[in-house]
Amino acid sequence: MCGGVAKRFGIDSKRVRIVAVISALFLGFGIAVYMAYWILVIRQGEEKSILSRIGSDKREKEILFVGAIAILSLMLALQILGINKFGLITLFFTLSVLGALVIWRGVSTNEREHLRRLTDAIANLGSSTGEGWPGVALRTVVSLVFILVGVANLSRVSRRPGAASGVVVGATTLIVGMVVLFAPWWIGTIRGLSKERRARVRAQERADMAAHVHDSVLQTLSLIQRAADNPMEVARLVRMQERDLRLWLVDPESFGIASDPPTTLAASAFEIEHEVEDSYAIAVEVVIVGDCTLNGAVLALLGAGREAAINAAKWSEAPSVSIYIEVERERITMFVRDLGRGFDQADVPSDRQGISGSIKERMARHGGQATIRSMPGAGTEVELVLPLKTSP
Amino acid sequence: MSEGALPRVFLVDDHALIRSGIRTELGDQVELVGEADEVEAAIEMIIERTPDVVLLDVHMPDGGGRAVLEGVISNQPSVKFLALSVSDAAEDVIAIIRAGARGYVTKNIEGPELIEAIYRIAAGDAVFSSRLAGFVLDAFASQNGEAEVAPPPFDPELDQLTVREREVLRLIARGYAYKEIATELNISIKTVESHVSAVLRKLQLSNRHQLTKWATERRLL
Repeated sequence: MCGGVAKRFGIDSKRVRIVAVISALFLGFGIAVYMAYWILVIRQGEEKSILSRIGSDKREKEILFVGAIAILSLMLALQILGINKFGLITLFFTLSVLGALVIWRGVSTNEREHLRRLTDAIANLGSSTGEGWPGVALRTVVSLVFILVGVANLSRVSRRPGAASGVVVGATTLIVGMVVLFAPWWIGTIRGLSKERRARVRAQERADMAAHVHDSVLQTLSLIQRAADNPMEVARLVRMQERDLRLWLVDPESFGIASDPPTTLAASAFEIEHEVEDSYAIAVEVVIVGDCTLNGAVLALLGAGREAAINAAKWSEAPSVSIYIEVERERITMFVRDLGRGFDQADVPSDRQGISGSIKERMARHGGQATIRSMPGAGTEVELVLPLKTSP
Repeated sequence: MSEGALPRVFLVDDHALIRSGIRTELGDQVELVGEADEVEAAIEMIIERTPDVVLLDVHMPDGGGRAVLEGVISNQPSVKFLALSVSDAAEDVIAIIRAGARGYVTKNIEGPELIEAIYRIAAGDAVFSSRLAGFVLDAFASQNGEAEVAPPPFDPELDQLTVREREVLRLIARGYAYKEIATELNISIKTVESHVSAVLRKLQLSNRHQLTKWATERRLL
């Protein structure tokens, strides 16, 4: 619009805008001129000015007429009620309402759409509940009534000093009015802030997850593609990735942080599971009942069990090996079992370190015992028993 | 389930890929009467079709398998549930069993084993994976390990396992099949099944406060 003025009078549009803003700030005069200009002047690309459009429409005239009567009677009513102090305010208020109405009725459909969007946005900005324009209007009216009553109370008090309660009542009413007017906006702002914070946390989590999926899952998938003709390697990769994901799901916080060496039997047993699964193409299923801290004898038991599991992985040809450990007060029992091809113990050369040295003798050194049960075709089970001298 | 007829099975899982995998593994060994991929639809269809066995995914949106279980059992107590999960977390396992599932197996179970488990559930027995057996032993055994501190069991019949039940569970935990357990303990398969069912009952009905506490505290996989 300023641009239009500038064009007409041949001045720089920036200067016109500055003048308009300054006059608006200081006098309110600028606003009036701006509005009048808007109403009276024909817009670029349109045939008639807003005023002439109103003038040419019978219905618009009627609305204007009714509006004017309503405002006049409202002012009259205020005069009679004796709150003429507010007459001036009311005049300005009603005039601006009337002006808004005129503009609203007069603007073209395009502009009306634009205005509607603008006002809806304001309504929603003011209310986090999304009550919309009618709700905002209702609340505004209610709060204005409160504020007016409050001001009226206060002004009456000033004439009758001594009635302190009037001050309280007036101030309270005023505050209530303010609260009703602004509360939704405050709440909306606060909610918006916490929503924003939550969104930021979510975005952070999503980024972490994306990073993890990339680093672990996608990498493994590309490895699997490369090893597609090697089923053993594929199975190993899949198991590794599966375990990795499980750990991450249970405890994403500490995932990837190098953990200390295990201090309990259970943690140590799971480490054996991972090690054997990663090194050999066999699934290891560990079931543990109870737990205890590690010491030399317990480590020997786990070492013997690990050897048994590795034997199963190497020789049994079974797809999986089960490890079961039960910690009781007097002893720890460990079973390592596979359903593979089994063997006849008489056929095993006595110099094979695995069974005799790593399993039987290691157990014996700590007062324990190892029993191996195996039959060709019926799998193998190694039972390890470690007596506990004192409480675990 | 009438004699000689295939068990009527309903499948609940929110992943189409898993459902089609299970469908392939089941083949024509069971009669698949329906599938659902979300809680609401599952409850509605199961109540309407009254299958013998529901294969139930534990982890689903809107309350998961547990919501389905609770929604159906109040209306159709005769429907039996076999929980299927990729998770071996104790709290999930114990929670779904205590909600009423008659068995629990992991999704990487082999096809023939799954079919065997379905038949067993349909016949009214319970199905324990080795992991679940370990959990139960652990949960019920803790009272022995800390006998001095633990309060005496409220209901000895429900709160303790018999020696035989303990033996059966131990063998399941060691990876033994029911048939192998029967041979090992010199009892019939029917007897093994009745021991497992008895343990299931205790697991579902026992008021041992340690059970839930134990399950939530245990975060091992």
